[in-house]
Amino acid sequence: MRTFSDLEMDALAEAFNLSLGEAAATFSAIVHEEIELSVPIVEFISRDELTRRLQGDKADQDPTRLCRINQSFTGSDGLVTDALLLFPEHGSLEIVRRMLGDDTPIAHITELEQDALAEIGNIIINSCMSSLANLFGTELIGSLPRVQCSDAAHLLDDKAADNLILVARIGMVMSAHNLSGFVLFLMDVPSVDQFMARVAHLFRLPSAALQ
Amino acid sequence: MNDDHLLADSVDIGLILLDHDGRIRLWNRWIAQRATRAAHEAEGMTLTEAFGNHIDPRLTLVVREAIDFGWTARLSHALHPMPLPLFPPGSDHSQRMMQAIDVTPTTDGTRRMCLLQVRDVTEAVHREALLKQQAHQLRNDLQRLSRAQEELQRSEMRFRELARQAPAGLFEADAEARCTFLNERGEQLLGRELAHVAGSPWPNLLPAAEQERIHDRWLLAVKSATRFSEEFRYIHPSGRPLWLRAEAGALRDQHGQIRGFIGTIVDITEFHERASRNEFRANHDSLTGQLNRDHFERHLRAAISGAREVTDRIALLFIDLDDFKVINDTHGHQAGDTVLKAVAYRVRRVVRAEDRVARYGGDEFAVLLYEAGDDRSLAAIVAKITHAVALPINLGHCHVRISCSIGLAVYPDDAQDPNGLLNQADLRMYDGKRGRPARAGLAPPTA
Repeated sequence: MRTFSDLEMDALAEAFNLSLGEAAATFSAIVHEEIELSVPIVEFISRDELTRRLQGDKADQDPTRLCRINQSFTGSDGLVTDALLLFPEHGSLEIVRRMLGDDTPIAHITELEQDALAEIGNIIINSCMSSLANLFGTELIGSLPRVQCSDAAHLLDDKAADNLILVARIGMVMSAHNLSGFVLFLMDVPSVDQFMARVAHLFRLPSAALQ
Repeated sequence: MNDDHLLADSVDIGLILLDHDGRIRLWNRWIAQRATRAAHEAEGMTLTEAFGNHIDPRLTLVVREAIDFGWTARLSHALHPMPLPLFPPGSDHSQRMMQAIDVTPTTDGTRRMCLLQVRDVTEAVHREALLKQQAHQLRNDLQRLSRAQEELQRSEMRFRELARQAPAGLFEADAEARCTFLNERGEQLLGRELAHVAGSPWPNLLPAAEQERIHDRWLLAVKSATRFSEEFRYIHPSGRPLWLRAEAGALRDQHGQIRGFIGTIVDITEFHERASRNEFRANHDSLTGQLNRDHFERHLRAAISGAREVTDRIALLFIDLDDFKVINDTHGHQAGDTVLKAVAYRVRRVVRAEDRVARYGGDEFAVLLYEAGDDRSLAAIVAKITHAVALPINLGHCHVRISCSIGLAVYPDDAQDPNGLLNQADLRMYDGKRGRPARAGLAPPTA
């Protein structure tokens, strides 16, 4: 697996920090609520490793159900990435129902709630991607958001096992609610290289760091 | 473009295509049916021109973003219930249709355009509203149920604790009198555990003489739906005879049918014993244990009123001890008492069990003989009494002898009423004491 220097990773974290910060501001404006995002922790890991982490230590008992909001992006220069936002289903429900002023005791997310969650994810992902595109000086065209909720073990089944996943873990605080989620970028190896080259360019990293 | 229009008009979703300048290029039939504008009117207009100023501002924003930056957006119904002024086909346009809109960038080959896909979510909203209503209902029902269960548990605990501490025996029994509950005190009273009495009707635990009466009373209480309240004898497994009182009220099921009884069992042995002691004291002479004068006369009156209907003879004997005062003066009052007790005992032994013996006054005794028989047998009884009294009486340090005088009167021969009979017997007793011949009927005994 390709490795990255500390310098590169710091630069990545900074790029996400900038883009997610804007995402939070947009989101706050939409829901009329103060939203704080913690500084993202960024790393590259494989799909299976991510699945293991999502399952946590509860793999055998009561599986953690997660909701995933997924949009695919294609850059004008060939960069292809899937942007994913993952939240625990329970936390997602809380946020959506809170925004809708609803206290329905239904355990799983309904069709309309999934739609609302798609919109929320769409806003965050769009904002994030647009500031990345802005920073990179390029254009990223996105697909419509798709929402899926399932056990952590099967959440990434549709993704290729050998893809590298760029994971940015963010903490989201919304009024009294603490919600921890992940922003994920799934890319094939050429896309990763391209992505990192842009980051290096952005932060004017020495080209040696890319070797 | 015509083919595109044909296709766009045949889908069950709203499609609006905007060109790079935000002007309408496609307005499919689905939209035309729900907006107040036909396709040929709308084409070439901006969204604002086509719909007026009644568009959700966010929709305008995301349309711009799609055209300028190639972003996609979803406007969910939950956050944007009715972004466009669209109305259900055939409605009076008073209420906007519930919608969800997807905005995606597209291109005509050279310049970027924007496609709006509008979905009617009315069905989904109604479905979910119903689902939520049911979920709320279910939650409320569950809460009510769990509150009721808690209350039930509390009251059961309360009852159990009360039953445990109660000083009275508590029991519950079904309509067939089979015991279904018995508290600790109840088990103590009966000397039996619930498990041992549960199988058969509880009156079966009683002495044979009581069983039928109590069982009948129980069935009567069940049939007439009245309170069961009875006193009965009970032999404790330790052999101790008890008097118990059971009181019970009916328990009914939801149809008002009697399901059983719940009530108390109390030990009234002491009360019973005290009452019978008091009764004995009131009716008996405390020294000799024989009837007292009042009670004897009640028996006499009852015997005469009973005898009037049959032809029985009833005999009354008056017995007076001769020179009893001498024994008192010589040996003391205690010796006198011993003599009185001995005489009473002896007279009692001579007559039959159903006959009555009383201490009538200081040293006077009276005997009532039912079905007295003829004069000869009466004379034999008088002789037996005279003889029995005359036997030596042991005073501990010496023996004394005492004789008695007996007056006899017979109903109906000598008198028709109790007083007449008493007078006659009294007179004859005194005649005998003075050595005079008897005034009537029977000759004085010649023992």
